[in-house]
Amino acid sequence: MILILSSEDDRSVDLVLRKLLERGIEVYRWDPGDFPVSARMTSRLVGGAWRHTLVTADAEIDSADVSAVWIRRPRDPRAASDTMDPGYRRYVERIGRIFLDGWEDTFETRWFPARLGVLIRTQSKLVNLAAAAKLGFTVPDTTVTNDPEGLAVAWSEAGGRLMAKEVEALPYNFDGFGNAFYTTAVTRRHLTSRHRLVHAPVILQPRVDKAVELRINVVGDQVFTAEIHSQGSRATLDDFRHYEGTFTEYGVYDLPKDLERRCVELVRSLGLDFGCIDMILTPEGEYVYLELNPNGQWGWVEEVTGLPISEAIAERLAADERPAVQGVPA
Amino acid sequence: MTGYPETLAAAVDLLRGLPRDRTGVPDAKRAVAAWRAAHPESRAQLVPDIRPGTTTVDYDLLVDHPDGGTVAITASVEDGVPWTIDHSTHWAASKVLSVDDEEISVQTALLTLRAHAERDRTVHDDLIDHCIFQLETAGEPEPSPEELQRASDDYRRRRGLYSRAAMSRWLEEVNLTPEAYQNHLYSVARANRFRDRVERESARTYFDDHIREFDQVSAVWVLGPESGLAELAGQDDPFSAVAAAVADLSGELTVQVADRMAAELPEPLRNAAEGSAVGPVPYRDTFLFGAVRRRRPARPDAVALAAAGRAAFTAYLADRRAKARIRWFWL
Repeated sequence: MILILSSEDDRSVDLVLRKLLERGIEVYRWDPGDFPVSARMTSRLVGGAWRHTLVTADAEIDSADVSAVWIRRPRDPRAASDTMDPGYRRYVERIGRIFLDGWEDTFETRWFPARLGVLIRTQSKLVNLAAAAKLGFTVPDTTVTNDPEGLAVAWSEAGGRLMAKEVEALPYNFDGFGNAFYTTAVTRRHLTSRHRLVHAPVILQPRVDKAVELRINVVGDQVFTAEIHSQGSRATLDDFRHYEGTFTEYGVYDLPKDLERRCVELVRSLGLDFGCIDMILTPEGEYVYLELNPNGQWGWVEEVTGLPISEAIAERLAADERPAVQGVPA
Repeated sequence: MTGYPETLAAAVDLLRGLPRDRTGVPDAKRAVAAWRAAHPESRAQLVPDIRPGTTTVDYDLLVDHPDGGTVAITASVEDGVPWTIDHSTHWAASKVLSVDDEEISVQTALLTLRAHAERDRTVHDDLIDHCIFQLETAGEPEPSPEELQRASDDYRRRRGLYSRAAMSRWLEEVNLTPEAYQNHLYSVARANRFRDRVERESARTYFDDHIREFDQVSAVWVLGPESGLAELAGQDDPFSAVAAAVADLSGELTVQVADRMAAELPEPLRNAAEGSAVGPVPYRDTFLFGAVRRRRPARPDAVALAAAGRAAFTAYLADRRAKARIRWFWL
């Protein structure tokens, strides 16, 4: 059996789920956000090894039967609605998180792309930028700082062509509205509020001119690369996600073999079986590494380019599985 | 009277206290106007810098230095908001509308409107004209109460908003505050005054230069499929042919008879001589066949001059659009 940990509205899972079911493989999809509200979990230490049981409204899963866990976009544990007191809710959800972390760490099976701890560690741009530089990727000179004076220094060093990125994209409200900090070209105006940097560090890099942006999806040894023509619109000039929509042109990109090999190597060196790598192809033909997301969104890439990423993920997940329904040997 | 260092310090205090939400800009302007009245030697001017895609505003305050020259001051307070959050973008910055879970982006909205727009004008032209009006009326004095009233009456009449309740409901539907509506009227009133002036000043010249457009023309024309119109055109007398077609109609034709200024006729008939027939020629998405019964030379009476003024203004805007630097951000 393959256990998929993700929220119900994760449409990328649907793409793979269909392919696994077509192969006749037993799959169960569960969202840890339902714990402890509507799931019972029991872990027993027997003979020095943990055996975990997950009971939900419609299934009972024994960890011994699971050949692979795909950890996609699970929500955090959530207290029941009748636990009203905010302090109790925090307690329940914190305990849930601590228990789940241990559960995941001791659940002996193949984790795709990796266990949660590895995903969190490699999501850090500090970690994956260093790993990429070590493997010989061209990486922009990068400063990560919360020193207010560092902003103007980096801006001057970049000749006024400085880009800023969040250390991690986290959700928040600003003046009551959901906002986001996209990759932003730093202007002189931005420097005038330098003191705010002290509250949260930021990633600063000199602007890299783009011919196209590349989204490189690595699944095991396979590489699927999409090109994003983000420079045709002012909206997507700095960050193709900014106003992504039907106005951006996408295509399949043929990455040089050596670079493909290094992308696979990078993902593997980080302890991952999957990764989305963002790179820039400059007008001069240089490939510049930006970042790696160990669990990035790839469904839209498949949708706009037809690259068979979901097929590759299904194949990877099913590697140790035999179909539940098989023919009887003669 | 205070010294320059005190003025500067007071200016910084003023800036630090201004509202940073874009809805607070009028309050900020009022605060600076009051401060300037108390510090006339500063000749202080507030320059709001409204960030695109956010509700946040930055300000610069320009003040005179006693030895000459300008000092530009900006101030950002410490309120604990991280830099990345302060410079973040509203999630709907690129959106015009959402219906249930379906969102429409600015660029898609503009394209959609272009696709749906009538052939003569598009919402794009309207938006460009709005900017041109803003540019051309920037130096206009404030509108008078009569001008504002006229703008309001026109606006409400066009939308059938005759009662206070209907007006309030409409403002709510389009998510417009009464203040925003008043600000809009202010622009409309100044635009009306500007248009009236251009029309008044250029009507006579336009009339003289395009005199045939103001001939009074009596004409008949038929819209329909080319084959049917070709049959009409083959007859000796086009007027009898049209009358016969109406009397014994087969298929579908649109017949129109009019006595109006040449400029208001379908384009193929505008310059046709008295007694002549035109067509069938392609016209809009169909074909046109027509004939001019009578053509009387234009006279510069009030009606013709008013029409000439309107035509002059349309030509002025077309010329202004052609010369403008137009940049669509999301297209």
